[in-house]
Amino acid sequence: MNARGAVKVEFTPEQLVEVRRLQGLYPDRRAALLPVLQLVQDVFGHISLEAEEYVAGLFDLSPAHVHEVVTFYTLFFREPKGRHVISVCHNLTCHLLGAQQVLTHLKKRLGVEVGGTTPDGRVTLLSVECLCACEIAPMLQVDDRYEGNLSGEKVDRILDGLA
Amino acid sequence: MVKLTIDGKEVEVREGTNIIEAARRLGIEVPHYCYHPGLSIAGQCRLCMVELGNNPRPQIGCNTQVAEGMVVRTDTPKVLETRQSIMEFHLINHPLDCPVCDQAGECWLQIYYMKHGLYEPRMVDEKVHKPKAVPLGSHVILDAERCILCSRCVRFCDEITGTGELGIFDRGDHSEIGLFPGRELANPYSANVIDICPVGALTDRDFRFAVRVWYLDTAKSICPGCSRGCNIEVHVNVRRPHHNQGRRVARLKPRFNAEVNRWWICDAGRYGGKFVDDASRLGAPARGRGEAAIEVGWEEMIPLIASQLRRYRPDEIGVLASPNMANEDLFLLRRLVDHLRLIHVDFRVPPRTPGDEDRILIKADKNANTRGAELIGLGPRPGGLDAHGMLRAARERRIKCLWVFHHDLLASAWPEAEVGEALRAVECFIYQGSNSNGVSTAAHYVLPSAAWVERDGTFTNFEGRVQRFWKAVDPLGLSLADWEILGRIGEAFGLGAPPARAEDCFKALAASAAPFAGLSYRELKDTGKVVAA
Repeated sequence: MNARGAVKVEFTPEQLVEVRRLQGLYPDRRAALLPVLQLVQDVFGHISLEAEEYVAGLFDLSPAHVHEVVTFYTLFFREPKGRHVISVCHNLTCHLLGAQQVLTHLKKRLGVEVGGTTPDGRVTLLSVECLCACEIAPMLQVDDRYEGNLSGEKVDRILDGLA
Repeated sequence: MVKLTIDGKEVEVREGTNIIEAARRLGIEVPHYCYHPGLSIAGQCRLCMVELGNNPRPQIGCNTQVAEGMVVRTDTPKVLETRQSIMEFHLINHPLDCPVCDQAGECWLQIYYMKHGLYEPRMVDEKVHKPKAVPLGSHVILDAERCILCSRCVRFCDEITGTGELGIFDRGDHSEIGLFPGRELANPYSANVIDICPVGALTDRDFRFAVRVWYLDTAKSICPGCSRGCNIEVHVNVRRPHHNQGRRVARLKPRFNAEVNRWWICDAGRYGGKFVDDASRLGAPARGRGEAAIEVGWEEMIPLIASQLRRYRPDEIGVLASPNMANEDLFLLRRLVDHLRLIHVDFRVPPRTPGDEDRILIKADKNANTRGAELIGLGPRPGGLDAHGMLRAARERRIKCLWVFHHDLLASAWPEAEVGEALRAVECFIYQGSNSNGVSTAAHYVLPSAAWVERDGTFTNFEGRVQRFWKAVDPLGLSLADWEILGRIGEAFGLGAPPARAEDCFKALAASAAPFAGLSYRELKDTGKVVAA
């Protein structure tokens, strides 16, 4: 569905009902911009400029103001991302306990730099600030799951488990 | 009303006033970047910190409304130290290249740094680099490195024009002002963001690097671009004539008038003054058509015009005044027309394409003084013809002498062929105006008028507000203000010595035309007065 560039951005009637519901939750419907952008990302995989203009239309906002929000948050993807996203924490505790080695290992295994996506579209690799799990440092987040106390073998097992 | 004390002085202001405005009333300036009285409050720049009562932390003055008995201090060591720290933050990533920045001389970073700067910078790290010299539209250029992210331009596009082109993208020290990718800053008021930008981030593509601002002289004026009559300042460059390719009028800037244009002007008006320094300006009186034209002095020209006007019967003469002439000019013309008992008099010429209009400032009538011409009475006399009728009568050889002021009739709604035929048919065609055009080249006599920035005068805007404009620069060549030319011609007809100043014309107008009764230049002040409709 997220063939690069050629995604027609338009919600289904059911998704539009959800947009209206979200907009109705707040005194100022503009407050629903974040959840609606998340919905866009869930449905289309990333938030393209076309999607920003589409969302601007849903909120009667200028596209520039939607672009402000999308560029502010790192969790919004403006380019197509992989089926899985691996975010390696590089903050203090993880750093002291070997985050750099974890990252180097991942880069080698995946053949991509930080911010890159494998050519088969399987994994996007990110390096991020503290994910609030110092007790299992060094750690990473793969999609919605935390993985900690990482070693080379554990990282390999995680990668092997990804479709 | 609310009474409060600022720096030990009492002041009474309206409820809802903020501390910056209340302090301004006392002549106390609270430094600020993001606050603008015409825009919503952002609280973004943090520079307007003041101390309130015994509150241990300074607060921003822009977003603090006055309260009864409030005690404000803007000059304590804590406030001064805070300003210095905020300035330090604003300058962390700002380039230190004022000598090559076009904003230098009118930059609020420079101005406040003089007073509140650290002078011993502590920054040792590389500055963050951002895009430079990015055109945002046809008038505005962005230097993102110089931007302090006050968001005035963003709010202007949101709140005044409602077009919302600009935003602040990314975050932290990567934040920058920009357009949605692929869009342009193309609203009809776009260049106002240059005026409200307190720093060198947004500059004027037309003005940048043309003249240093400290070489400019200024005069208060009125925009002649439409019947709104926006108050403006004319900035002229006469001290460095070798700069700006000889253009004397360097730029037009809006001047605040709460009743007319507030802080803004449209782009069409702002860039509409180019005709003043255009190569098409008429520099000397001339007689004879086309190749045969020869320049003559005024002392020769005035009697020539008078003798031509004497040669014809009153009903053989047509006078087409211009709604872009000042009240002073129109009054002297009216006096002459009455004296000669001319009946074919008009000032209305329909434009080829109807003017655009909006609900902000722009009016469809692109003439500065239509209302003035109506009030002074430059319409046809009983039995007289209107402008179109005069052209027809000229083609039919019934009107033999035609005196046209400023109009380019060939660019009007009337068919070019008809106009051309009329102009060829008249025995005596007098053109009076500031610039040559298709009509002036057909004239037997050309009388060069000074442009509005080259003289004093008044315009009456669409709602009947009479507003003064001041001379900013000398008339080009031998050109004279229309009232001076008309005064000299009047003298040739025994109407007395020509008035010495525009103000004398206005006095005579106030004494003889009921709507203007009681008005004087002094009475009009800087922002004008509405005459009885």
